[in-house]
Amino acid sequence: MQVGIEAMNVFGGTAFIDVSRLAEHRRLDTTRFENLLMKEKTVALPCEDAISYGVNAARPIVDALSDAERDRIELLITCSESGVDFAKSMSTYIHHYLKLNRNCRLFEIKQACYSGTAGFQMAVSFILSQASPGAKALVVATDISRLIAVSGGEALTEDWSFAEPSSGAGAVAMLVGEEPTVFQVDVGANGYYGCEVFDTCRPVADSEAGDADLSLLSYLDCCENAFLEYRRRVRDAHYRDSFHYLTFHTPFGGMVKGAHRTMMRKMAGATAREIEDDFQQRVTPGLSYCQRVGNIMGGTVFMSLAGTIDTGDYSNGPRRIGAFSYGSGCCSEFYSGVVTREGQESQRRFNILGELDRRWTMSMQEYDEVLRDSAVVRFGTRNVSLHEQWDQVASKRTSQRPHLYLRQIREFHREYEWTE
Amino acid sequence: MNKQRIIEIIGMHAAEVLPDLADHRFVEDDRLQELGANSVDRAEILNMVLDSLSLAIPRVELFGPRNIGELADLLLRKLQSA
Repeated sequence: MQVGIEAMNVFGGTAFIDVSRLAEHRRLDTTRFENLLMKEKTVALPCEDAISYGVNAARPIVDALSDAERDRIELLITCSESGVDFAKSMSTYIHHYLKLNRNCRLFEIKQACYSGTAGFQMAVSFILSQASPGAKALVVATDISRLIAVSGGEALTEDWSFAEPSSGAGAVAMLVGEEPTVFQVDVGANGYYGCEVFDTCRPVADSEAGDADLSLLSYLDCCENAFLEYRRRVRDAHYRDSFHYLTFHTPFGGMVKGAHRTMMRKMAGATAREIEDDFQQRVTPGLSYCQRVGNIMGGTVFMSLAGTIDTGDYSNGPRRIGAFSYGSGCCSEFYSGVVTREGQESQRRFNILGELDRRWTMSMQEYDEVLRDSAVVRFGTRNVSLHEQWDQVASKRTSQRPHLYLRQIREFHREYEWTE
Repeated sequence: MNKQRIIEIIGMHAAEVLPDLADHRFVEDDRLQELGANSVDRAEILNMVLDSLSLAIPRVELFGPRNIGELADLLLRKLQSA
């Protein structure tokens, strides 16, 4: 039987900043900043959280379903490191605001930036199990970064300056089922690899700590070992010849370029010129949205996939895509699937690029204010009113779609409201 | 293989990644970051050094050294136990 993605949508937020301006603003060394291949990053507003992001990503998918199809969503997994409660999963809020069938499993998965892949693979397994033939799963990978780096302590990296320009906010929603028009999974073609490493993490609420050097080394170790395991399971798989496109977990483009260079040299013995040409051909389509939103953690590899689907060339027949997912801590996976022209056309209705273009540009002053104001919605906030922020956003945004934003928190319960 | 030779190999690859260092004379106290290598550059230099030394070990085992001399010491220990 077939299994995979029937529809997917990216929500890349409401506001963004230009990262080269941020680099100047923070007086970072900008001489070689271009090599990092970052352009813009989405900034989460105080009245936005991982729940509102997730709902805004999923709604266009759910709206396009018939009532009968929507009622077959029997599994809703949120994949995140930005949860708002240790017990209650964000999937319960998302289920409520999407008005889904109550005969549905609701839960959340965590493993840093690998969470989206973890949720996706669980959904694929659920469909393949045929425990409920014809059922669908909704996987929502959603993360934001309020970005207040943990201060002090000698282990904090000196190179943490990459984190602020590259940390974005965003969500990817995917409908997984037996009619994988958009991305047909190669069943059983999975190389997974994980081990304990302390690279980057969120050891306290609303903040991040870690070491960029260690994380990069671990990413490279995993990229190599996950692919070797994939190749052990998929006879004759070749890094250069088996995949028309490659899609990566993308903390920032420069890191992907480094990983691709290492893999092409090790797995294919390619020369520097061949590697550059191959990068442009097979990898850059996957950077198209990542460069404009930043690292959205759990959903990043799927935002890269969405970019590869939207900007790749499928006019000459189906194309196989290799995907590499990495989550600090760490777990990783190399897997693959097939995309067709019909799938690409089917995705046009979500107009992901057009919606990114509708975000508003923040000034550095507005950005610094948002970082400061975000403290009012810290993890564990019991009561807060955000009516003023909600009204501002509703009047300023330009998207034609209804969006959900946080109105208030009352006795820890979050209350959201749709814009018109 | 000795420590001085490993420092030369690190220097050779650092200059490949950062051509501005072509005339730099590498010493134990040099820190790649202070020489202008960002984290992506540093990982690339480590990759090349491991290849040159034909050392097949997880890259994360090379995390920790604070300068080129300490990195050379660590690589020498890994070579001796390989």
